[in-house]
This record gives sequence, C-alpha cells and structure tokens, in this order.
Amino acid sequence: MNFFRRLRALFRRTRSESEMADEMRLHVELQAELNRRAGMDGEEARFAALRQFGNVAEFQQRVRENRGWAWRERLSSDWRHAWRTLAKSPLQSAVIVLSLGIGVGVNAVIFSWIRALTFRPLPHVVDASSIRLVEPRTDTGSHPGASWQEYRDLQPRVPSFRDLVAFRMVPLNLGENGRDERVHAQFVSGNYFSALGLEPAAGRLLRPDETSRAGGAAVAVISHDFWQNRYGGSPEAVGRTLRLNDQIVTIVGVAPEGFLGTVVGLGFDLWVPATMAPVLLPGSTELEARDVRGFSLMGLLAPGASESRARTEVDAAMGQLASMYPASNASIKADVLAFWRAPRGAPKFILGGLAALQGFMLLVLFMVCANAASLMLARATARRREIGVRLALGARPRQILRLFLTESVLLGLLASALGVLLAVWGANGLRAVPLPGAFPFKFQTDLDGTGLLVTVSLGAACGLIFGLAPAWQSARTDSQLALRTAGQAPGRNRVRGALVAVEVALALLVLMTAAVFLRSFQESRSADTGFAPKGVVLAAYDLSGRGYDKARGLALMDEVVRRLASAPGIEGAAIASWVPLDFHAMPVAGFNVDGQARSDGGLERALTYSVTPGYFGVMGIPLTAGHDFAALSDTATRPQAIVNEEFVRRFLDGKLPLGRRVVGRTTFEIVGVVRNSLYESFGESPKPIVYFSYRDRFSQSGQIHVRTRAADSAAAPDLRRIMHEINPAITLYDVRTLAEHVDKNLFFRRIPARMFAVLGPLVLVLAAIGIYAVVAHAVAQRTIEIGVRRALGATDRTVVWGMVRESMRGVLMGAIPAWLVAAIVALHVGGSGAATPGVLLGVPALLLGVALLASWWPARRAAQVDPLIALRAE
Amino acid sequence: MPNDKADLLQGTLDLLILKSLQLEPMHGFGISIRIRQMSAEMLTVEQGSLYPALYRLEDHGWIKAEWGVSENNRKAKFYSLTTSGKKQLQAEEQNWVNLSLAINRVLGNA
Repeated sequence: MNFFRRLRALFRRTRSESEMADEMRLHVELQAELNRRAGMDGEEARFAALRQFGNVAEFQQRVRENRGWAWRERLSSDWRHAWRTLAKSPLQSAVIVLSLGIGVGVNAVIFSWIRALTFRPLPHVVDASSIRLVEPRTDTGSHPGASWQEYRDLQPRVPSFRDLVAFRMVPLNLGENGRDERVHAQFVSGNYFSALGLEPAAGRLLRPDETSRAGGAAVAVISHDFWQNRYGGSPEAVGRTLRLNDQIVTIVGVAPEGFLGTVVGLGFDLWVPATMAPVLLPGSTELEARDVRGFSLMGLLAPGASESRARTEVDAAMGQLASMYPASNASIKADVLAFWRAPRGAPKFILGGLAALQGFMLLVLFMVCANAASLMLARATARRREIGVRLALGARPRQILRLFLTESVLLGLLASALGVLLAVWGANGLRAVPLPGAFPFKFQTDLDGTGLLVTVSLGAACGLIFGLAPAWQSARTDSQLALRTAGQAPGRNRVRGALVAVEVALALLVLMTAAVFLRSFQESRSADTGFAPKGVVLAAYDLSGRGYDKARGLALMDEVVRRLASAPGIEGAAIASWVPLDFHAMPVAGFNVDGQARSDGGLERALTYSVTPGYFGVMGIPLTAGHDFAALSDTATRPQAIVNEEFVRRFLDGKLPLGRRVVGRTTFEIVGVVRNSLYESFGESPKPIVYFSYRDRFSQSGQIHVRTRAADSAAAPDLRRIMHEINPAITLYDVRTLAEHVDKNLFFRRIPARMFAVLGPLVLVLAAIGIYAVVAHAVAQRTIEIGVRRALGATDRTVVWGMVRESMRGVLMGAIPAWLVAAIVALHVGGSGAATPGVLLGVPALLLGVALLASWWPARRAAQVDPLIALRAE
Repeated sequence: MPNDKADLLQGTLDLLILKSLQLEPMHGFGISIRIRQMSAEMLTVEQGSLYPALYRLEDHGWIKAEWGVSENNRKAKFYSLTTSGKKQLQAEEQNWVNLSLAINRVLGNA
C-alpha cells in the first residue's frame, strides 16, 4: 500500500489529480484480480499488474501535459525558486525594489495627472469622451469664443450633438457694497447640468427653461466647496439669497462634490443662467450682439454620431451664419476640438510640461533599470557555477533564460507594488499643493484602474529590461568553462561595456536638457521685461453692476487717479485694462493703418490695451517719440493711439508714425511710440501692440497701477482708504505688487525648474553608482589577472589606468552620441541663450569627471591587492 | 510489444475508445479489456496512452465521466459517450473506412 500512498501524495495537489490517482489505482487492482484468476498468487499478481501498468509517474505527467497543467506547475516552481534566490541577497533586492519602486511611482503619478487632464477632465461626467468643444475661429487662427446668438443658432443645426451647452467665466462681486468679495462664476446655458448628467448634492440644478428669457431666472447653483465653507453644508442653504453685483439671486441647489466647472484647472463657486448677464452686468449686450464673443461651446456627441459628421454639420452651420450675418461672421469658421485641447484654461498650458516631465522621468527610470541590470549581472556572474551545473544536468538555455527573467520580473512586480503605494500617496499629496493666483487652480488627481495597470506593467517591463542582459549572458554560458572557472567571466565583457554606455548616454541627455531648462528659466527671471516692476502696486476694480455709464465711470476713475497721484508716498497712478504677463491671453484687434493697406484687403492684427495717461511713466516704459495721451477729462481731442517700436517696424516699414491713423471700427491717431516690452510671456518674440486711451475705450473693470516711493506694500492701505473715501461702494481686490504678479507668471516654469534642480544631482548620483558597480564588479572578476600582471611587474599605475581606460571607453561610447543629440536639442529648442558653453561643455565635463572618479575608485582598490593573495584565490 | 500484435496507428486510439463506449458506460480498465477483446487480442492499449486519451476526449466533451461502483465494489470512474461524442464516433468511423479503403487501393487489394 506504500506505493499507493505515494501515488496519492503525488496527486493530492488538486482534486482532479487525486481522482486520476484513484482511477489508475482501480486499474491496477482490477488487473491484479485478473492475474489472480489466471493463476498467480496475491503478491505476484499485484506486482505483475503494476509492471503491466508501467511508469505511473510518466503517465501522470503525460496526462498533465495533455491537460495543460505542466506550464502552470513549471511557472509556480519558477516563482518559488525566484523568490528564494532573491531572499538570499535581501540587501541587493531591497535596493533594486526601492529605487525601481520610486521610479515607477513617480511615473505613475505624472501619468495619472496627464490622464486626468485628457481623459477624465470633468468629475461626475459619465461620458466625458463624447465631449467636443466647438470653437469659432477667425481667419488669423485665434479663438475668440462664440456669441450667445451664435450658440442659439448652432443648437438646432448640429444634430450630431445630443446637447450643446454654452458657458463663460465671469467674476462677480458678492455681498453688500463696500464689504463685498470676489467670486468666480460661470454664466451657463440652462441645459448645462442636465447635458452633463450631473446630480445635485442638495436642492436642484438649473433647468433648460431658465435661460429662455433675457434677464430671467435670478437663481444660482453653488459649488460643493462654497456650500461647505459658507453654509457648513447645511441643507437650509437652498432657498437662501446671495447679493451678486447688487442683485438678489436665489440659491436653488448645490453641485455634486468635486465638480469644479468646465474649464480644466479652474474651479468655480457659482453657476448662473447666462440670461442674467444684462441684469448682473448692466450695459452688457452679450445676449443680442453677434460680435460680443466669449462663450465656450461644448457639444456632447449623440450615440452613434461621429466627430467628423459633427464637424461637417458645424462647418455647414457656420457657413450659413456667415452669409446671414456677414458683419459679424463673414470670416468666422469653427473648429471641433477634443475637450483637452481647449484654447482657454489650463490643459494646453500644463500638458506640454507634464509630457516633458514624464519623458524625463522615464529616462531616469531607465537609468535605474540600467543600475539594476549591472547589479543583476554581478549576481549572475557569481552564479556561474550554479548555471554550469544546471546546464550540465540538461537544463536548456531557454530554461536558464526563464529562470533569470522570472527573478527580475518578480523584482519588477515588487517594485510596482511599492510604486502603486507611492502613487496613491503622491496623487493625494499633489492635490494638497496650494497653487497661487487670482484664479482658483484646482486639479482632479487620483489613480484609477488604468493608472494601476500602467504602473504594474511598467514595473514588470522594467524587470524584463534589466533582466534581459544578465539572463541572456547566463543562458549562453558554456557549462564546461563555467564549472572550471567559477566566479570568473573570461575576457572582456561586452554586456558590461554596453550597460555603462547606455547609462552615461541617458544621464547626459537628462542632465543637458535639465541644464537647458534651468538656463532658460534663470534667463527669464533676469530677462529685461521692458518695464520696471519694482515699486509698482496693482489693484483690481470692477464697476459692473454699480450703475456707472461711460461718462460717470470716466469721471470717477479720473478722480481716483488724481487723488492717488497726489497722495504722499505715491509717485504716479494710472489705470490699464490688463496687466502684462498675465495668465490670460491678451485681446487682439484687427485694423488697417491708413495709406498702408494690405494687398489682400485683410486686416493687420496687434495686441490691444487701454491705458490712462501716465501709464507709461508708472510702468517705466520709455516713450521714444511723440507724447502721452490727452487727459481723461479732455473731450475735444480725437481718439488717440500709442504704438510700440515693433508695430512701427512691422506695419509702417520703420517710418515715423506720428499723425498716421489706425483704422478699426473707430479711427485713432497715433500720437506716440514706446519701447517694446513683454506682454504675454517670457521669451516671446517682440509683438506689435496698440495702446488706446482709456478715455476713448473705457472699461468697467481694470487694474489700478500705482508707483510708490517707499516699500511696495506700504501703498496698499492708502489705496483702499482713498478708494473708500471717493466711493465706499467700490471695493478693490487682488491688491499685489507687480513683482508678485510677474512671479506668478513664472510659476508654471518654476515647478519643472525646481524638479530639474532636484533631478540633476539625482541623475549624477545614479550614473556614478551605476559606473562604480560595473567597474567594481569587473575588477573583482579580474583579481587573478591583476595578480598575474602585478607579479610580472606591472605597476599600480598601469593596472589602474588600464581598468579606467576600459571603463571610460564604454563611457565615451555612450556620451558621444548622447552629446550630439542633446546639443542639437539645446540649440533648436532651448533658444539662443540656453545653449551656453556651460551647458554644452560644462555638463558633459562634469559627468565625465564623475564617471572617471567612479571608475578610478574601484580600480585603485584592485591594484592594491597583494599579487600572492590574488593568485592563491584560484 | 510482440510482433504479432498490430501497432496502433496514430490517431486511431480515440476511435477505438469511442467505439468501445458505444454500448455501455465503462471504466478505464474495462475499456482496455474491451479493446483487446474486440480486436481478438490483436490490439493492446497501453495505459500510458489510454488515460491521457480519456482525459483529452473528456476535455473535448465527447465522453463524460461519472463516479460509480465497479464489479469488485470499488469506487470507479465510468465513462460514457455524449451526444457530440456519438457524432464524433460516426465521423471517425467514416474517416477510417475511407482511409482503409484508400490504403487498400494503394496496396492493390481493392
């Protein structure tokens, strides 16, 4: 019975296996029975039956292979074996898992950011993939937004969209006069919430009929955050009223938690029916005027509808509108864009940076892989005898390959597990990063199933990548040679040289690109902006909803500027419609310069600004010809314009423009020329601009600019006090220095710059570790050779330099092609200033220095080995 | 294997097993005996081929196994033909007839 017990034990693994054992045992018993009947005695009959049955184990194996069990069994034994091997050198395994895990985790976080921005930009919106933006486009390619009337016309003309919604961002004053604050709202079409399929957290959301009548439906939906912060999440908030721009608006409901609005990167407090525009912003003509643009249109594709059909329908509709309303629509077409390509908001701005960062972090991850590979290679060499034995016992090279790859993939998977933990923590951590700015930046980040899958696959892929070299090398081991010369790889090792080359190439690429980035960042910090930010204080005002028409508004602002300018400590004051280097793009106007008509009959385009006289003095922008604008109270002088030098160069062939006229809807006479300065971003090429006088182009909201004599911040109380004295109903908000404002523009450059500053040294250290490990390993392998050479009279010096030379050959093999690539990138992408000798030569020199040191250190130790000891080691 | 016994042609084992199950359900040992009897002791199925073949046929769904009690009162696994197994048997029988006819023709016996 012993045999059957063994048989059973073998089969106990699964139920079907034990059934197989039962069945075969029965077979043997019945055969024995038959044998007995044929005349054998008991024992003899049983043994005969067993003999007749044959090799039980082999049959079972055949059954298993037939049923596809074999590979599963092999796999699980491979895993167990790999686990045991890794556990034997815990330190090395821990180093690999830790470094790889961090690399994988960081990549997963960035990936989840990019994914959140592109694929799941709107929380709670179920079919975000069906969202397409419809963006009217001018013949110059800019996207001015849609008018409300255009929205109304497009709605029935594009049946491919099951819903078309309109929204635009609008800052509003909340609260009583003089004690109000700024809130960020979106004017939306009535179907906004229903189209997105949102459910209210309390109360109800807006209804389509609430935008059917101009001035109608004084209601608002508040954001979940606003509800929590202001009403403590109380259900009684529904039905309360808000004073918005001096109008009473009733809260009807609360948006779902986490829904921030439909501009990625920005979060809004309120949603108000767009038809409230003329009530909240007196004088607004946006509901009727076809040339007042600013709405974003978002369509949700109907089931079965394609983007291309929607595009055809939109094109046809815009063509109709162009012929129906040539005054406003003659040159307007429309683009149908994926949501993440929105021309407004953060995605375009941030995605590029994130993609670059992802690329860099992947390179760093590959470096970590290369390091892990050199560690695994060292281990593989130490296991040459074991591999030799395996091969001698009949293991096939393929099986050796599988053995090694299983180990490294297991390491990779362990690293992924760590990476997932880090990514979950990191994604939460990123959400807590406070972002500055007049705009409420907010991001949705979390790791979803796809992110998880990518993380795990990335780890496993890393394992494959760094496991391939040692596995391949081991699989090709000559078993005879391995058994005779255990621990010694014969000759120079090409795999090792290639590893060093790859590592150095990656390091150089990352370092040089980081250096280019840092240079261009530094440059933009010290760049000449063309104005003098130091000593300038800004404050925003908004007269909308306060009952000021143009005449009264001008009088008020004239008084404000005069009172401020005469205040002690203030050198000058002015008002402008915009602040340079803002998050927003500036408005562009089309015009002709008289006597300079374009041959194609089209319009010239330039940035526009409206400013009060004295603005250039406050900003420190020198006037190079002509004079400043006429006083605000002057009603006699004709409309004036001041242009910059780039405008003169581009549109007037450099001829003195004074007295020439800029002809748009109104005709402006050019009275002065100012020096170029930066308008939209650092590093921009000079742009033409037309400054109009605030007197001619009054605006309800704008920015007060004050140049102070003393420290910047001292002016803030003065500003608020004087404004309060003039009219307590007008509140100033966003009081900050121009320097702070400029810094904010640098914010999105500073994050990557800081990351590169951290990344650079990290990459250097990684490269040094990698090279050190490879050389130390090579040296350890060649102890005997070194001993022989030393015994034959080689000096320390020749031994050391021999080793270093060999290592540096690998280093240069990687460095030279990488340098060429990086230099080309630096020259083409980094701009003229970035490709400095420091970047092109200093960075490679630094890396080569580090590489030299990392090779010299272990080589020197080898040279100090006593030749006798080295020889005896054999 | 003794020379007076015919070698099993590759692929004919399935046919033999299916055929032996045509009349009644049987266990593995019974199948091997039945094949020997039916072939007048000419064909012996090796156990090493029989059991893998049984599992393979079961995986194909041509036979199904049920636990029952054997003639010596032991727990035994009885195999029986399924409907698709019956169809398969017909197909293989036809196949065999065609094949043997063809081979006989080649040998000049037809």
